[in-house]
Amino acid sequence: MGMITNLMAQQTIWRLPEESRALFATLIVAGAFVLILGLIPVLQTLPPRGRRAIIVTVTFLAGLFFAAEFFLPVDWTAIFPKDDPKRNFLTPAIQPAQNVLQIIGALALGLGTFGLVRLHLRNAVQKRPQWGYSIVLLVSFVVMATLSILNTLAEKEIVERGPVLERAFSILFDYTLVQLDAAMFSLIAFYIFSAAYRAFRIRSVEASILMFTAMLVMIGVVPLGAQISPALPTIANWVLAQLNAPAQRAIEFGVGIGGLAMAIRLWLSLERGVT
Amino acid sequence: MLSVDRRWLYLILFVNIVIFLLAPLRMPASISPPVQKFYDEIEKLQPGDLVMISSNWSASTLAENQPQLEAVITHLMRKQARFTIISIEAQSRDISYRLAERITKEKGYQYGEQWAHFGFVPNLAVAIKGMVTDLPNTIKQDVRGIEVTKLPVVQGVKSLSDYKMIIDVTPSGTVPVWISYSPKNVKILYCPTSVMAAEAYTYLDSGQIKGMITGAKGAQEYEQLLGIKGLGAPFANTISFSHLLIIFFILLGNFAMLMNRLQARREA
Amino acid sequence: MDWLQAFLPLNLERLSVWIGVLCTLAIYSLLYRENPIYRFFEHMYIGLAAGYSLGPLGVDILYRYWIEPIWIQGYWAWAFVVPYGMYLYFIFSERYGWISRIVIGTLIGASAGLFFQEFSSRYLPQLNSTLQKPLWVSDANPDLTYGMIINNILFVIILLSVLTYFTFSYEQRGPVKRVAIWGRWFLMIGLGAIFGNTVMARMALLIGRIYYLLNDWLMIRVGGG
Repeated sequence: MGMITNLMAQQTIWRLPEESRALFATLIVAGAFVLILGLIPVLQTLPPRGRRAIIVTVTFLAGLFFAAEFFLPVDWTAIFPKDDPKRNFLTPAIQPAQNVLQIIGALALGLGTFGLVRLHLRNAVQKRPQWGYSIVLLVSFVVMATLSILNTLAEKEIVERGPVLERAFSILFDYTLVQLDAAMFSLIAFYIFSAAYRAFRIRSVEASILMFTAMLVMIGVVPLGAQISPALPTIANWVLAQLNAPAQRAIEFGVGIGGLAMAIRLWLSLERGVT
Repeated sequence: MLSVDRRWLYLILFVNIVIFLLAPLRMPASISPPVQKFYDEIEKLQPGDLVMISSNWSASTLAENQPQLEAVITHLMRKQARFTIISIEAQSRDISYRLAERITKEKGYQYGEQWAHFGFVPNLAVAIKGMVTDLPNTIKQDVRGIEVTKLPVVQGVKSLSDYKMIIDVTPSGTVPVWISYSPKNVKILYCPTSVMAAEAYTYLDSGQIKGMITGAKGAQEYEQLLGIKGLGAPFANTISFSHLLIIFFILLGNFAMLMNRLQARREA
Repeated sequence: MDWLQAFLPLNLERLSVWIGVLCTLAIYSLLYRENPIYRFFEHMYIGLAAGYSLGPLGVDILYRYWIEPIWIQGYWAWAFVVPYGMYLYFIFSERYGWISRIVIGTLIGASAGLFFQEFSSRYLPQLNSTLQKPLWVSDANPDLTYGMIINNILFVIILLSVLTYFTFSYEQRGPVKRVAIWGRWFLMIGLGAIFGNTVMARMALLIGRIYYLLNDWLMIRVGGG
């Protein structure tokens, strides 16, 4: 196993020569796009069972890698004396797998942005109701995306950071986006306060326990609690550590067992509607 | 009484907060055991020890996480510890980088020598596994595009196991991921927003996290232990009175409901 | 007069602060009623947030893990990753939408495979911690006080009763039902703690905003610090 890992680490077949590296890289990437996207008509000819088989196989293999890496014993030196006794043969592959999943994760996050832009572009083009706001969104998106990409490239000194870029990004990020984000989430405080007066009703034993604990925690952990009585913070901390903690642990156990069952079902594609 | 326009309630809350932010109150905090443990763990650090700060908060939780991160970085610099920052939230990348740059410049900490920012990674679990296996090739380069192998702050570091501590400053459930995948020899400290704190007491009990600072009030306690003036104190003092107001209105609402019921019975 | 000069947006720094305040007050205008100003800033916020994310995604991830390894370092095998990931974008197509599930399956499979380690590292130590709590004084634990013992016994009782409440595989009757009812009450303590902390968190966020208005914009010194 160590021999295979060593072969893969050798850079001769996996690395393009330095001369014309950019050209070869561009050609290979273009070829990869053509090949992978060109597979789509081929995949499309598969019957539904064949499609499901591919999805199930990919899911299983992706899970098998991480599960096997965790479960396999680490010390294989009895069979492969030159191996590292602290890792099994799959462990070195974790790092490249990490790279692949980060790239796919980034593309998955980009999917949300793509969907949003697509929706509002359609609103604007088709002049649906309130399409003016969609224009606002799209203009903000384009301007911020440009500045964000340029700013991140400038941080890595790939492009030059001029005073205009610095000031524009600062205004849009520090003084607009950050302020809007903070203001948006601070609205919840008003709604909680309004709900506290209009909706929080103590009608049962359970509601009484919940409200009493909440009030004890709300007053006990803040500085005012210590001013009212030195015992209040002690009682509040005791409630959190000795009464709240076991309840949370019981919830954790339930979530853990449920999560394990769900993980196995997802790994083996037993869950309907996912694959 | 129950049909009062909710806008009056919003105004009452707003005025309450303005009054108590402006009031010259100085209520010292009662140091809670999790914050004391947090402080004690960082006090145990030796000069040159390496700490990973996971900063995952965005502007939406600025008021709670910013005082925490500022106090943590101040304490680490006081202990002359080296630290690296990583973010799993896109906005947090720039927020934490700019904040750390400002604070470290004030105290003379050099980027690259004593601290660095590893940028943004969307998938935390595989990133941690990658860092445990091979940190330089997982992170590759910092936010400034410098290769990790060329950064003096992590010279010779091959794995996350070479770190002494992980400090998770977060508004979301990322600490279970750190607990699940990080090496067992690395201590974990937690700086959640108050929303996440109640659930974390089970990890404190089992020793999976060694200390915790809860939101703005935790930041006040920590600032008090450090002897510094930060945003935690004015925020925590004002929170006290906004809580008093909410409790009063909860009781008032229930009292109003009771009165309505009694009146309805009388009329019936 | 000095204050007024410092207050007004007469330079870029102050103008930036005024922009931030305008954004905050525009969002808060929703509290009065739904209005076009709020809608405008809401859409601007969504556009800015979506646009901002492209920088870290594109540069921190794609450049770091894909562009640089291929074009600068020459590791050509990475070329296949982004085209494979682009299968995700077929989710918008009715005809080819199923292809996106291949990549989704990769992500789901990876998460599921990772869960075994999470289960063993996250939950088993908590079980271990619970089982190791001493419930009586013995030679093995000479430093144990009666207060700690009572705490431990209470901990175990609460844990078991809440777990009993969550057991739905059979009908709860008699003593089991009584224990489950106690479990529900103990659960309310946990939920009350969460609620109290949630209120604290939200208040802190609002206080942070008002602090910005008072300290950064109106330049009024905030007391208590």
